[in-house]
Amino acid sequence: MNFIQWATSPWGERVPIHISWDLLWASAIAGALFLIVHAIYVGYWAKPAAEPPQDSKQAAAAARLPERVARHSFGARAFHWVMAAAMFVLLFTAFLPKVGVRFSWLTIHWIAGIVLTVSVVYHIIHASFWLDFWSIWPNSQDLTDASRRLQRALGKPAPPPRKFGKYPLENKLFHLAVFFAGLAVIFTGFFMLYRVPTPFFTRNPYLFSDMTWGVMYVLHGLAGVVFVALIMAHIYFAVRPEKLFLTKSMIFGWISREKYLEHHDPERWPLEGGAPQTGQSKAPEAAI
Amino acid sequence: MSVIHDVIPAFELFQPATIDDAMMLLDRYGEKAWVLAGGLDSLEWFADRIKRPKAVVDLSQIKELSGVRSDGGGLEIGATTTLTEVVRHRLVREKYSLLAEAAEAAASPQIRNQGTLGGNVSQDARCWYYRAGWPCYRAGGNICYADAPTGLNREHAILDAERCVAVNPSDTAPALIALDAKMVVRTPGGEKVVDAEDYFIGPALDITRMNILRPGDLLTAIRIPATWAGAKFYFEKVRDRNVWDFALVNVASAMTTSGSTIEQMRLAVNGVAAHPVRLKAVEAAVAGKPRNEETAAVAGQIAIQGTKPLQYNGYKVPLMRNLVKRAIRGVAGEEAA
Amino acid sequence: MTMSNDLTANNHKLVGKNYTTPDLLAKINGKAKFAEDYRADGMLFVKLLLSPVPHGRVRHIDTRAALRMPGVKAILTVDDLPEPADSVTDLGQVIKADRLGERGLTMEPVYQGEPILAVAAVDELTAAEAIEKIHLDIEPLPFVIDPLDSLRPGGPNARVQGNVWMRPAPPPNAKPGPPPPLQRGVLKWTEEDFAQAKEGQLPMGQATDQWQFGDVDGGMKNAALVLDETFVTPNASHQCLETRTTMAYWQNGKVFIHTGTQSTYQTGPAIARWLNMDPKDIVFISEYTGGGFGSKITGGVSLIVPALLAKRTHAPVMMRISREEENFIGRARPSLQGRMKIGFSKEGRILALDMFVICDNGPYEQMFDAAGAGMIVSLLYQPLAMRWRGLSVLTNTPPRSAQSAPGGMQGITLMEPVLAKAARKLGVDQVAIRRLNAPEGKAEFGAPMGGRRGHTTSCYIKEALDGGAKQFNWDERKARTGKRNGSKVRGLGVSMSTFVGGSIGYDGLIVLKPDGRLYIQSGIGNHGTESLSDSHRISAELIGIPWEKCELIWGDTSKNLPFTCASGGSTTTHAMTRAAHAAGMDAKRKLQEVAAKTLGGKPESYEVANERVFRKGGGPGMSLAQAAQHAIQLGGIYDGHELPKDINKATAASATALAGQGLMGVAKDNYPHDGATFSFVASFAEVEVDLETGKYHILDFLAYADAGTVVHPAAFGGQVLGRSMLGIGHAIGQKWVYDPHYGVAVAKRFHHTKPPTILDAPANMAWAAVGIPDPETPVGARGIGEPPVGGGCCAILNALTDALGDEVIRRAPVTPDTILASLEAGKPVYGGLKADV
Repeated sequence: MNFIQWATSPWGERVPIHISWDLLWASAIAGALFLIVHAIYVGYWAKPAAEPPQDSKQAAAAARLPERVARHSFGARAFHWVMAAAMFVLLFTAFLPKVGVRFSWLTIHWIAGIVLTVSVVYHIIHASFWLDFWSIWPNSQDLTDASRRLQRALGKPAPPPRKFGKYPLENKLFHLAVFFAGLAVIFTGFFMLYRVPTPFFTRNPYLFSDMTWGVMYVLHGLAGVVFVALIMAHIYFAVRPEKLFLTKSMIFGWISREKYLEHHDPERWPLEGGAPQTGQSKAPEAAI
Repeated sequence: MSVIHDVIPAFELFQPATIDDAMMLLDRYGEKAWVLAGGLDSLEWFADRIKRPKAVVDLSQIKELSGVRSDGGGLEIGATTTLTEVVRHRLVREKYSLLAEAAEAAASPQIRNQGTLGGNVSQDARCWYYRAGWPCYRAGGNICYADAPTGLNREHAILDAERCVAVNPSDTAPALIALDAKMVVRTPGGEKVVDAEDYFIGPALDITRMNILRPGDLLTAIRIPATWAGAKFYFEKVRDRNVWDFALVNVASAMTTSGSTIEQMRLAVNGVAAHPVRLKAVEAAVAGKPRNEETAAVAGQIAIQGTKPLQYNGYKVPLMRNLVKRAIRGVAGEEAA
Repeated sequence: MTMSNDLTANNHKLVGKNYTTPDLLAKINGKAKFAEDYRADGMLFVKLLLSPVPHGRVRHIDTRAALRMPGVKAILTVDDLPEPADSVTDLGQVIKADRLGERGLTMEPVYQGEPILAVAAVDELTAAEAIEKIHLDIEPLPFVIDPLDSLRPGGPNARVQGNVWMRPAPPPNAKPGPPPPLQRGVLKWTEEDFAQAKEGQLPMGQATDQWQFGDVDGGMKNAALVLDETFVTPNASHQCLETRTTMAYWQNGKVFIHTGTQSTYQTGPAIARWLNMDPKDIVFISEYTGGGFGSKITGGVSLIVPALLAKRTHAPVMMRISREEENFIGRARPSLQGRMKIGFSKEGRILALDMFVICDNGPYEQMFDAAGAGMIVSLLYQPLAMRWRGLSVLTNTPPRSAQSAPGGMQGITLMEPVLAKAARKLGVDQVAIRRLNAPEGKAEFGAPMGGRRGHTTSCYIKEALDGGAKQFNWDERKARTGKRNGSKVRGLGVSMSTFVGGSIGYDGLIVLKPDGRLYIQSGIGNHGTESLSDSHRISAELIGIPWEKCELIWGDTSKNLPFTCASGGSTTTHAMTRAAHAAGMDAKRKLQEVAAKTLGGKPESYEVANERVFRKGGGPGMSLAQAAQHAIQLGGIYDGHELPKDINKATAASATALAGQGLMGVAKDNYPHDGATFSFVASFAEVEVDLETGKYHILDFLAYADAGTVVHPAAFGGQVLGRSMLGIGHAIGQKWVYDPHYGVAVAKRFHHTKPPTILDAPANMAWAAVGIPDPETPVGARGIGEPPVGGGCCAILNALTDALGDEVIRRAPVTPDTILASLEAGKPVYGGLKADV
């Protein structure tokens, strides 16, 4: 299988034109395999994490905590879902035609691309100034804990890992992957707008050399197919029972005090002011 | 890998005697098969070493694909019937002279002796960038050279372009649409019959194909219903040279009248988009109207709504407008004032 | 003029009569062999690797994979070519080889499609597959397609060495003499030069060459009407039906080459120069050639590729050139961008003419079309004062060469629409304004050289205009033009045209053998004009031998050919009827002498006629066969053992080889010749334009020629109409199209470049000739090939402006899109001054 489709430019140079669309299937299969392996692993082999003893300090903290712990602000949630919608539109308009579903996709695709770009720009500004910017990026502690978890999973002695901060490591890694793939599609997609008729620019397909354009198309395509696997994994985790509370939090904005204490380390995710931003008196279950 | 545009690369040649055998071969080789009818389009691709099929399925030995037959009140024309046969056939000339005229306008006598009706309607775009083997959208690439700021697009599309601005070059296609012809297509799943206008597709739907045929499909026949037999026809092709040239724009129409009133009309133009364009808005606007200069003028204006000319093809807008006017009038030139 | 044996009178048996040419039957029944038709045992086939870029430098070529393929025999690159050889003229003048000139293969391609290397293999498929296996690493260099782009400040240069052909500044204290030869140099115009031109006007910066006569400024001042018009003529490939296919093989140190040419004799020395070989080791065979039009005056340099591969592989080698390749290496006429400022008197006489021309030179040898345009305009329109300025700008487009009326055709095309516009503005009839300005008799032309201008041998174009206007019913048609019929309108056009019609000083060589037949040695090429046999009929006429008893030996340089003109510039009929006349007269004189020596009496008392030499007024005589036998017995000058001193050494060598076979007529054309030979044509056309579609048809066309005596009416008419059609092609559609971003051709095939088809020819097409013999040549015949081209083009252009007005056309060709878009916009649109759109 060729990873890249090559063509001969008008000047006889061998230039890439885009990725091989077989990579779409490779990505989808890789995503599916991951889900299956993970599901089997969790279902059959993974040992339930030993319940750490409740220490008095934690109990005291719990007493001060509200019933609902604010996790995602309205702005953050709005961004997530707008971005998700744009992403789905982008993926469907990109790949359905590649698998034989014929429709006029181009205009929808670039409009969705612009929605995605605007939402990401908003997110970057919002996260930089209004959110705890560093909470989503993996740090050295995450790596230490990951190493400990791995050793314990393999039955080797290791000190118990700490609980997570606001975001579990896999969440952070997912965000990192989305960060890079998203940057790639947005950056290349922005310039690709010069190649198609839009109200924004005078069309100029000769903005870059044939080779530079080729690399851009390859990056765009590569990031696109990577998204297929990433989003499969993302949805999988979102619907896994043990993660459902996080998914709900992306809708309603909060998690329960119990989940907070169960999964998160208050030192790594200290609550500001100690009061939730959302949730008045309704029980979490009732909100669903 | 250097480029050379000469000498046909080797391929395996099959000359099946039946449609079933042809279908089997197409199925066996899938995307690596090439359907060869008259060869006018195919051999140019081959000799330029741009299209390199593994297997070529030559339809010339399939008797059932060729010939003009009466079909109820209408006609069924086999896909590999030559353009010359179409032009000369008595029933075509008597009842559907529009098609005879369109077929006779194609290419040159030698090419019409060899070229087929199925091939003429199914031929590929002639955009000189695409035919040069450049990696444009239509060739699976990521650019349109003709629609670049410096692109040379005198012969390109003014309608329905999306990324690719190539046009459909067929002369018979608009005539078949005007006659409400049906295209008989054999697919691996069986036979299907589609309206002529739905046979053609633009770049928005599929940028690499001109029609609905997918690998493994075969256009077997074209059926012309009795509906428009003997109607008032108009065909005109404007081209640079008087023979052996593609249309800059052509127009084909069929009309029924009652006295000096237009009852019904079907009208299509080609050379303006990647597919022949049926002008339904014009058809609706002229139905029931008197056949005069005023109606023609209105029709011409409606026809060019939504046109988007490129740098060098702005002339196609007045050309299309005027050809539509002429189709309404039924004669070339303005009626004497 | 008085001359014994005057063939201009209407009393001859062959001259002026139609006949079956010796090559005709084979062309009809398909037995004629062109270069591509030859096959030989073990023959290899060549395919070329063409440059993908318009200008580049090959960094590296990896041929290993190609050479490993079974069946691949050799690969040739420029490193395998001989060094370009200097050439020596007949006067012994050495012309230094241009080191930057075209060599057939290159590592620094200067146009897309230039051959970089050639592969020889057992068949074409293998050769093509080998080409695809070659890895070419090429560094693109700056390129330019449009001359004006190159002249802009900071604009790209087509060659590393410069962008124009220019004369170096003369050294101080240089002696007066001819100007130094042109060199490649860098010339850029200023922003002001460009800013001064209004929209659609050609900017005029520094020219590299200029001349002037008369008071141009004064003429403009006194003019009743001054027009300042810009026009662009197209680059147009020669489109010969036979491409430059060549077959070559070696035998015993000699190379045998089969390819098309316009000039059999002259191609031998050209090949010798390209291969850097002794001409005696070259055998060149070209019995049939499928068209030349100036592109194959001496074949083409590409022929050395199979010749050298044949030497390397010890096998015959065929290089078949495809239509696309022909488009690259097959030559083309250069486009001219011209600006004509002309002052007219109120009667329409041209008082002053200021002409500025840019020639799109292509990448190689300097083209003289800009200069030719000035010379022809100065002759054809006889301005009272004229200034010409020109330059030839290098571009990265295929190499140009002369094409039928090189420069002249374009000059006329720059001029005629202005003349037509002036006539309309002044209310003067189109025929009348041309008659008023037309040359006559010993008409002057060109730049003053040493205070004097050249003059023609004769000119009767006024007679052609009068005869043509009458035959075309000009006045009657004029009354009905301009009226609209539905969406259609008719237009009427007339154009004058001229080009060079002859050269002098070549040799004739004939042998009358004891079998009673006349053997005519011909070095003329057979490219379809029929001058090959037409010219030699003069010898037969003089000797009084029927054409059926003449054997024409042609198409093979090993067959003892005489020194013959190059067939270019329509010289052949003039030059070689003179040489044939000289040889015929020589044979006739010898026949008389042989008879006198054998039968007694004085040579003058013998007459030569009806295949006999006999005493005037009755008495003893002998047949030509007997005379030939006696000539062999007499030897010496009679059978070629003694030769005239003034003939060319090549003729002498051929004559020596033929000596002793019969009575030999061998002589150099020493006839007096006052002036330069030009032929003239007046062309008339009527067109009908459909204003709704922009489509037009040529209804009627007449070309009325003045080319002296008509030697062969059918061939003459074929030339007049055929070359008119070549010009019409320039008017109606023939073109190049180049993508400006990549600098490569997008129109490479016939259906893109659009040479006219038979259905584009005028519905009615006729020719006629004034037929007044030229007084400066014994037969009175001048060449007619090239003069009709400008007339064909401009009669159509003028008819179109007659129908459409003066604001539609600014360039040729004129296609429906141009007409329709311009009518819609009310001004000329599309292309502007751009090249190749």
